[in-house]
This record gives sequence, structure tokens and C-alpha cells, in this order.
Amino acid sequence: MYLVAHVDTKVCSETACKLCTQYCPEANTILYDNDMKTAFIAVDRCKACEICVSVCDNMAKHNAIKMVMISDIDHAFEMSKFGFRPNEWDHIEKPSVAVAEVAATGSGKD
Amino acid sequence: MGKEKIQINEEFWDIMPEDYRDLVTHATYGKPDRGWKDVGSSTELIAEHSLCAGCPESIAFRHILASIPAPEDTVMVGSTGCTSLVFPMVAIHNIHSLFGNQNAIATGLKRALAVRFPDKNKDVIVLAGDGATVDIGLDMTLQSWFRGERFTTICFDNELYANTGGQESGLMQKGFVAKMAPVGKKFEKVRLPEIARESGCAYVAVLTTSKPSLVERVVRQAVLIAREIGPTYLQIYTPCILEIGKQSMEGLQEMRDAEAAGERFKFREFVTPEAQAFIDDMAAKKKAEKLAATAPSAN
Repeated sequence: MYLVAHVDTKVCSETACKLCTQYCPEANTILYDNDMKTAFIAVDRCKACEICVSVCDNMAKHNAIKMVMISDIDHAFEMSKFGFRPNEWDHIEKPSVAVAEVAATGSGKD
Repeated sequence: MGKEKIQINEEFWDIMPEDYRDLVTHATYGKPDRGWKDVGSSTELIAEHSLCAGCPESIAFRHILASIPAPEDTVMVGSTGCTSLVFPMVAIHNIHSLFGNQNAIATGLKRALAVRFPDKNKDVIVLAGDGATVDIGLDMTLQSWFRGERFTTICFDNELYANTGGQESGLMQKGFVAKMAPVGKKFEKVRLPEIARESGCAYVAVLTTSKPSLVERVVRQAVLIAREIGPTYLQIYTPCILEIGKQSMEGLQEMRDAEAAGERFKFREFVTPEAQAFIDDMAAKKKAEKLAATAPSAN
């Protein structure tokens, strides 16, 4: 298994900074749902460079993005499956992680 | 060209790749006010590329492609290097040239487009690495500026030949030791922005890609000035994190460090008086438009 970035939508939706979408090196990977006011990640495009983690922790200081094992994410958003349709994003269930605090290496599944 | 060229024949809609359909429905072709604000809610003109995780060059690509004023009427010319790995995934017409030949190709292209489409603005943008712009293609780069060819030259400056393992380049800093240049560089970084100013460029800017709003302003100005006045040159720092020994998440901080006061990529621009008048005129028009748009609601 491998790590991908995961946005905690509860923390993210309380802010409107969008900084991570600006600095992700991959195109159309960190998406922003304007209705739910949260960023979320297209896991099939994430290369796990962790720039968004350092941006969210150090520049925005929201600590909303963590690296998690891809198998721990429920309802992961895949660009190849859903396509780029911003109008439908508020109907799609946002990705979530069942384990409350998953550290970068602490999930135990590999 | 124009926006209608990217449309899909209805009968072929279902067999076209998802990425292409997204471009037709959600991209920002034909929108004069396109810019950084559209990212996240519209399809970007770049798709999954093969650059390394965390490569600052791909951040630069995203910022530039979001800022180009008229992508449907733009042709980009690339050259050999990591940029040529990205161009197949870019949704703007582009040409891959021989290594170093990019400004010569762009010259012919710009002139041909001016003859073929006399009533339309066709922008040509050269985007190449520092090896192609400064070492191998310096002749072509300088000659196109001497002739006053009206296109934009963008140099992705990573200060060495990163794609082939770290050889010394003209834009490398003095004393820098790279993997395949173990002695360390013995002469100063070539001062191409100053050379560009003296060679006839109407607008020259040196920047990093750590601020999307700045990249947007500079790229927009450079393309519009090249359309009306003369050659323009942008030098953008895109460090190769592998060759300078950084982790994937450290590229952004590296750029921020390199643009601090007194550092080599501190933002600076050289503008000729003619280009400055054009920029001021553009700003005044934009202001007037904004006033006109808000006036009815105020009354």
C-alpha cells in the first residue's frame, strides 16, 4: 500500500484559504468544492509529494491535511471514475478516514 | 483556431477520453478574464504528467497555463528537457523543436501566423529550460531579440542540466557542485535578464513561481506586450529538487528562500518606457471597465 494526501473536511470547511490548490504540482488533483467549502483530493492523481501538507501546516496553519494509507480512505475520490464535474461534487460523499488519528506511518497496514 | 476547434462531433462524444470531454465542458478557453481564480473549479489545461512528485516545474506549468490570456489562439514552442515531458499533456497547440532551436522556430511561426491570420492576435510563447535558452540555444535566443520578434520567451531556470543527471549550465551559481560537475562552477551565473534588456526586450522579469498572483500578472503582461510592442523575456526559478538534494515537499520553501531580499531570484523587472505606457494604459482601461460595471448598481 502507499500513502496519499487526505483533507479533513471538517477542519477545511471552516476556512476558505484554498492555499493547497495553488501549490499542488499536479493539475486538477486538489479540488475545491465551493458549496461545501472544502478541498478534497483526487487520489488517483496524488503523487504523495506532501507539499500540501507543509503548505497547510506551515503557511495556512490549519493542519487539515495528513498523509494516510490509501486503503484507509472511505469514499476516495477518483478523477478517472467521476470526471471533472464541479456541479455534482456536492452530491458525492467526501472522502473520510475511519481511524480517528492516522499518523503518516501509524496505520499498520502495508 | 478558436474555441470551436476543440469541440467534439456529437457522434464521437461517447468514445472520446474523459479528460478531453472535461476540457470541452469545463475549460476556460475563450474567456478573456481567465486567470488564477479559475483553478479548482475549471479544468486546467494540463493533465497528468510524468514529472517527479513535488517538482516545482510542474507548479510553474500550472501557474503559467492558468495565466495565458488567450490559450485558444496561442502556440507554444518547447525544447528538449523535462518540459518536453509535459508538453504532450498540455491542451494548447505546441511544437517540439530541436534542442536550442526554439526561438528560431517561434520566429518563423509568428511570422507565418501573422500572414495567415492578419486580423487576429496569435500569440507565440517559447517555453524552454535554461540549457536550451542560455547554453545551446543562446544564438537563436539572442538573434530573435535583436530582430525584435514579437513573442514571449520563458526560461525555466533550474540552474543545471537536471534531466541528464546534473551537469554544469551557464545559469548555475558560481561555486555550485553538482553530481556531474564535481569541481564546482568557476564563473558567475550568466546575467541573461540584463543581456535581454540590452538586446531589445521590451519587458523582462525574474521571479520564482511561489506566488500565483504574481506569475499571473507577469505572464499576462509579457504576452500582451509581446503582441503589441516587442520581445519579452521571463526567467522563472524552478529548482530541481533531486539535483539540489531536497525532499519532495521542500521545493516551495527553496523557491521562497531564493526570492528573499538580496538573493538571486528577488523579483525584478525591466520595462521600456513604451511597454510601461502600454501597461498603464491597460490598467486604466481595466479600471474604467470595472467602474462601468459597478456604476448601474450604484445608481
